[in-house]
Amino acid sequence: MEAENKFSEADSLRLIAATIQEAKGGYYHDSGIGSIFWGTVISIAGLMTFFTLQFKWDNDFDWWLLALFALVPQIFISIREGRQKVVKTHVGRALDMVWILFGFSIFAIIFYMNFSPVMHMKFLAEDGTALFAKNLSTGETRDYSLSVAPSPGSLLLLLYAFPTMVTGVVQKFRPMIIGAIITYVFFVISIYTRNPVDQLLMGISGLLNWLIPGLILRKRYLKAEKLQHV
Amino acid sequence: MFKELDPILHSQLRLAAMSLLISVKEAEFTYLREKTNSTAGNLSVQLNKLKEAGYIDITKQFKNNYPQTLCSITPIGINAFEQYVKDLQEYLNIK
Repeated sequence: MEAENKFSEADSLRLIAATIQEAKGGYYHDSGIGSIFWGTVISIAGLMTFFTLQFKWDNDFDWWLLALFALVPQIFISIREGRQKVVKTHVGRALDMVWILFGFSIFAIIFYMNFSPVMHMKFLAEDGTALFAKNLSTGETRDYSLSVAPSPGSLLLLLYAFPTMVTGVVQKFRPMIIGAIITYVFFVISIYTRNPVDQLLMGISGLLNWLIPGLILRKRYLKAEKLQHV
Repeated sequence: MFKELDPILHSQLRLAAMSLLISVKEAEFTYLREKTNSTAGNLSVQLNKLKEAGYIDITKQFKNNYPQTLCSITPIGINAFEQYVKDLQEYLNIK
């Protein structure tokens, strides 16, 4: 590109088209690390909680705390990947924002799941209302109190599918689109299932939404890196 | 009567750099050099011409103790690029 003279109008148009095409190829240079990392964390948390509940394992550990601990390495991954980026795209920035807001929304939902029932009971009490549960076999009646929002797994599944679908569609990355569609189906199923099954669905959605697409991204990334250094 | 094409943009390397910058938020100098297959010296001269015209912003900073040059297109640059493409289409009779 040293020559600056004898540059025709048709050459100009060809150059613009070729350069934009060239830039397109390098945009979504996702290393897949983040997807693999979170896919592993969510799959382990969901599946281990399912096994613990289903097979009544003697285990008090809350596997979902893994997601909280995973925030620390995620910060390091984000900083490192940010430093390695040689180009920042508008699309990439928008997708980063979607995922940051997804993180905030997850914490907002956990807050909602734990505090909205408490507030609901408080408002009922203020209205002079109390809830009771009646055992239909024995006829025994006892005080009833909501401690957690009903079917919390459904809300989480709904939230998991959203950024995954956006990323899949924007990046034209089919594995994420498929993962998100299946997670939407899981959301509907989870409305009709009990908590252990919801946990199983969440674990599988971690695999389909992030772990498997992440491994595919990683393979593509390493292949592209290898080609660049040939 | 055809409009004269913007002489700042009607140069192979400057146009290539602008075509790359139009579709991104910002890009490192090394990225532009690699994608345009140009030498650092030549690219640096051409980017400075674009900067003088107000078409791009150049920010110099340090990353991991190494100097880093970031380039981004300005609103004036976007307008100029769009006008250039329009003039080009008119010139080549493309609708």
